[in-house]
Amino acid sequence: MTTTTLGGPPPNLLIPGHRRLIRRLLHGGGLWPAVPAIVFLVIFLVLPMATLLAFGFVTIERGRIVGDTLTLEHLIKALNDDLVWRLMWRSLWVAVVSSLLTLALGYPVAYLFSQVRGLARVLILVAVVSPLLTSALVRAYAWLVILGGRRGIVNQTLLSLGVIDEPLRILNTDWAVLIGMTQIHLPFMILPLLAVLAERDRRLEEASENLGASRTETFFRVTVPMSIPAIFAGLALVFAISYTNFIVPQLLGGGAYATLAVQVYEQTVVVLDWTRGAVLAAILLATCFAFVLAIVAAGRQLARWAEVTR
Amino acid sequence: MSRRKVSAIDLAGGTALALVAGFALLLLVAPSLIVIAVSFEPRGYIAFPPSGFSTRWYGQVLANRQLLDSIGVSVTTALWVTAITLLLGIPAAFASVRGTFAGKSAVNAFLLSPQMMPGMVIGIASLFFGAYFAFRASDQMLVLALSVFCLPFVIRIVMARLAGLDQRLDEASANLGAGALETFARVTVPQLGPAIIAAAAFTFIEAFDNVTVALFTSDVRGRPLAVELYYLVQYDNTPAIAAISAFEIALSFLVMIVIARTVGLDRIGRLS
Repeated sequence: MTTTTLGGPPPNLLIPGHRRLIRRLLHGGGLWPAVPAIVFLVIFLVLPMATLLAFGFVTIERGRIVGDTLTLEHLIKALNDDLVWRLMWRSLWVAVVSSLLTLALGYPVAYLFSQVRGLARVLILVAVVSPLLTSALVRAYAWLVILGGRRGIVNQTLLSLGVIDEPLRILNTDWAVLIGMTQIHLPFMILPLLAVLAERDRRLEEASENLGASRTETFFRVTVPMSIPAIFAGLALVFAISYTNFIVPQLLGGGAYATLAVQVYEQTVVVLDWTRGAVLAAILLATCFAFVLAIVAAGRQLARWAEVTR
Repeated sequence: MSRRKVSAIDLAGGTALALVAGFALLLLVAPSLIVIAVSFEPRGYIAFPPSGFSTRWYGQVLANRQLLDSIGVSVTTALWVTAITLLLGIPAAFASVRGTFAGKSAVNAFLLSPQMMPGMVIGIASLFFGAYFAFRASDQMLVLALSVFCLPFVIRIVMARLAGLDQRLDEASANLGAGALETFARVTVPQLGPAIIAAAAFTFIEAFDNVTVALFTSDVRGRPLAVELYYLVQYDNTPAIAAISAFEIALSFLVMIVIARTVGLDRIGRLS
């Protein structure tokens, strides 16, 4: 006998056993449809991740693991290395500033989206989604074209307008990295905000204005506090992808511009010091998670505070 | 409703907001448009606006054996990744949405966990794991690592659609005498169709364009286009790079149209 659950398929005792089995399988119900994916991820994600972490705690010489004991030596060495801290600081700085810039640029776009209808909405969506689907490399290259040396578009324009006599040096500076990161990650900030602002309950705002608050006041005291969870979701996401981005610093920051993520890449692919690469990758991942958790916690706190003061 | 008073501050604030939004939108689209424009430059170096119109750089790309091979590698890889992630992801999404079992939220979190990993970390982890078994970076490693990277996209797109489906339709079909397979094939799958197409398009472009995973896992002798482009960008400065980029931009536009016509552009925001 099969048991009937409310809303489930009606029991049909006439169908043969195998068909009943198929029915049960197709209606989901169990964990089994996810098993292939779980097995796949265990083999090709969990075990590789374990290997990556383990490589930081063994000694490798000429492609062979030497000895059979784990050692903290490499981790301690990395943590005592001033360079590692400087790289982390630069990664952190770049990621924080570019996340805040994406918020400053993205919030108005999401707000505008919520205020318009029809074709304007479609155009905003296209403008936001199309870069998201374009490879980050292509977009970094676009900035190379725009900011690059004397022939860069910015310099060509400013020189021909007579605004400057000497080409500006933007490429290979912090500015180029910040501009590139901000523009490339902007859609990731706008999209969570877009959904929340477009579907928000506008009665609170109307009430606020009917009670005599100006639009500006209403915006800052009702609309923005209401979207704090989405703001921090966007900040956490943009922070994480900026902190671990090694392509933008490499292409726009120039060869000498190093962040923790760039260093991980170079140790693994260029220097081929896999032990150090593994240690730095572990540090990168751990610090990234820690910072993201801090951002999420701050967001919760602020949302609660906004709730109370309202 | 009472007529709102609009003060000078409100007006200034509203204008500032609109200006920033306009600037941000321009910032989003302009770089891609500039790259497309630059790719038609007839001279040997980059200039904007281009000094004329020529498709010579496209011709040069198409005549370049190495680049054509890399496009082949990218297409093959992206097709494999799409097939694998769909095969694994669609059933997993079923379990995630319709399943009732202990530890469901933990399983869901695990299925989506690759999303929390930077591509670089997935790439390096795969490289090291393979090396442990004397397995070099290769087309196979690239496909497997990218499948891990892209699996959450498929699961999330299909999950979103499944969660929105009315399960009573399935029941109605069963009540009307359809067997389970028939219900699945004629009721559930057609409703999921758009989500599956969107998931396939999204995964294809992500796998095709990917650099962060591919840099570590792709075969040195048969690099995908994105990795080839990565090295070209660093060491070369011809409009041919703009031509390849314009090609990738066009491809992403195609994918956007597919997504717009299937699940809708506003939906994709909740996926990435």
